Amino acid sequence: MPPLLQVESCTKRFGGLIANRDVSLTIDSREIVGLIGPNGAGKTTLFNCISGALHPDEGRIVLDGVDISRARPEHACRLGVARTWQVVRSFGRMTVLDNVICGALRRTSRVAAARTRALELLSFTGLAGKEDVAAAALTLADKKRLEITRALATTPRLLLLDEAMSGLTPTETVAAVELVRRIHGDLGLAICVVEHVMEVVMPLSHRVVVLDHGEKLTEGAPSEVARDERVITAYLGERHRGKH
Amino acid sequence: MALGLGILVALLYPIPFEKSGQIYYETVGFLVLLNAMLGIGWNIIGGWAGQFDFGPSIFFAIGAYTAALLHIHFGLNAWLALLGAIVVSVVLCALLTYPVTKLRGHYFAIATVAMWMIAQPIGATWSLINGSQGLFIPVAPGGTFLHGLLTMEFAGRGKGLGFYYLSLFLFAVTIVGAAVVERSKWGFYFRALRDDQEGAEGIGIDTRLYKVIARCLMAAIFAMGGVLYGFWALAVFPDQVLEVNWNILPMMAAVVGGLGRLWGPVLGSIVLIPISQVMTATLGAGPLAGRGIDLIIYGAVIMLIAGWRPNGLLSLPWGAWIERMTGRARPAPSARGER
Repeated sequence: MPPLLQVESCTKRFGGLIANRDVSLTIDSREIVGLIGPNGAGKTTLFNCISGALHPDEGRIVLDGVDISRARPEHACRLGVARTWQVVRSFGRMTVLDNVICGALRRTSRVAAARTRALELLSFTGLAGKEDVAAAALTLADKKRLEITRALATTPRLLLLDEAMSGLTPTETVAAVELVRRIHGDLGLAICVVEHVMEVVMPLSHRVVVLDHGEKLTEGAPSEVARDERVITAYLGERHRGKH
Repeated sequence: MALGLGILVALLYPIPFEKSGQIYYETVGFLVLLNAMLGIGWNIIGGWAGQFDFGPSIFFAIGAYTAALLHIHFGLNAWLALLGAIVVSVVLCALLTYPVTKLRGHYFAIATVAMWMIAQPIGATWSLINGSQGLFIPVAPGGTFLHGLLTMEFAGRGKGLGFYYLSLFLFAVTIVGAAVVERSKWGFYFRALRDDQEGAEGIGIDTRLYKVIARCLMAAIFAMGGVLYGFWALAVFPDQVLEVNWNILPMMAAVVGGLGRLWGPVLGSIVLIPISQVMTATLGAGPLAGRGIDLIIYGAVIMLIAGWRPNGLLSLPWGAWIERMTGRARPAPSARGER
């Protein structure tokens, strides 16, 4: 069976800067893939290319046999790619429930049906009881949770989580990892997780892809990747240069 | 309850003035309703979809001109001409707006101003609409009051009352339509693209399409307003229908009343239009006439309201006041407070 998502030799340049160079990867259905790498490795750029926010300069992105390299974000979403953002993009002045209704309206035009689905999903992700709160008033952890709920409401096949756990307290991180596990287990989605905190990605992912300086360094099972010399150097090297 | 009372007041308002012959107050009512209607239209693009449109009057003008042409050249009844005006206005709005939906924020706003500026020389020179000489709308003399309502043609008496009720009817159509849209998929999508455009696209919303839809709804409402105004004024002049007030007043009604809230522009219009009329009638005449004192004070009043209640007058605790006045005051704090 062909993989759900195929990224084939994707290259993305911003002027002279090459953000992604010849990156290839696959994601199977019901697989959790971790995308890791130091800051500036090109993780978010690759996410933007997959979700249609950017288009690769070279290479192809194929979702279930359909070339989505040139698709706009709303088309990618219709075809089954949903994402969250590193900097949260909730609809701040709308209530939590209305945020999720907007997502659910992807699959139905009837607001009543969308509301029913939104309420189900809010209790699934643990936001029940906060339906009428304005999204802007939520904590960061809840905003990220809301964004995941809203993405799920579009009924995706592939969920892209861009640093859904960064900036959270240790307790909140545990809860977020638990949520990702339940989304995978109960809804059976393919999930791609971007994190630069290795401790979060390793136990969660079935497979890990490592990016460094825009190129794919290696990929494999979390245990192998964690022992890989090149990966260790990439992270340590960054530490020696200091954070930028 | 409050809605029922409002409907009753709106229906009965002109009766005493009709009896006493004070037609002027009927006209003030007509202007309040016309501006409330336009304000609701502007609120769709500006308040819900969050795209500030500073040139909506071009659709007011397109509506007025289309209806006038259909009426003059084809003898079309005003109501049929109104439908034609809506269609033309919406189609032109879609064609004009789609290219500029790539722009955001200030740039979208500037594009709408530019469209309005381009419309002015076109209105002043295009021979089809008789350039700056304008079009006159002929009115058949005689006819009953009912006939007037069915044709928007009133000769002499009954005109003030007739246009009050015509504007009340179109206002009612507008607010009911807006209420339906607010609760629909469109209403949700408009607010989503206002709050975060990337976020909206990420959940499958074609933001360019929904900006066009929001502006076309506004264009339809402005076209209705333009037709009503044209048949009221019995003439369509470019500098009248493209006047800057048709850009500013609906926007101010929405902002002063409560941006993004269904009844905001209605409250804003009820407050602003009578103030403006009173200022003009009192200070615009007499020894200070022609010095613009009325406009200065009117502007100051608007600034005071905007500074005192930046979220609009609708954000005041009206519910609590009404309860207190009707003697059903409850010391318990209102759970439905302002955000």
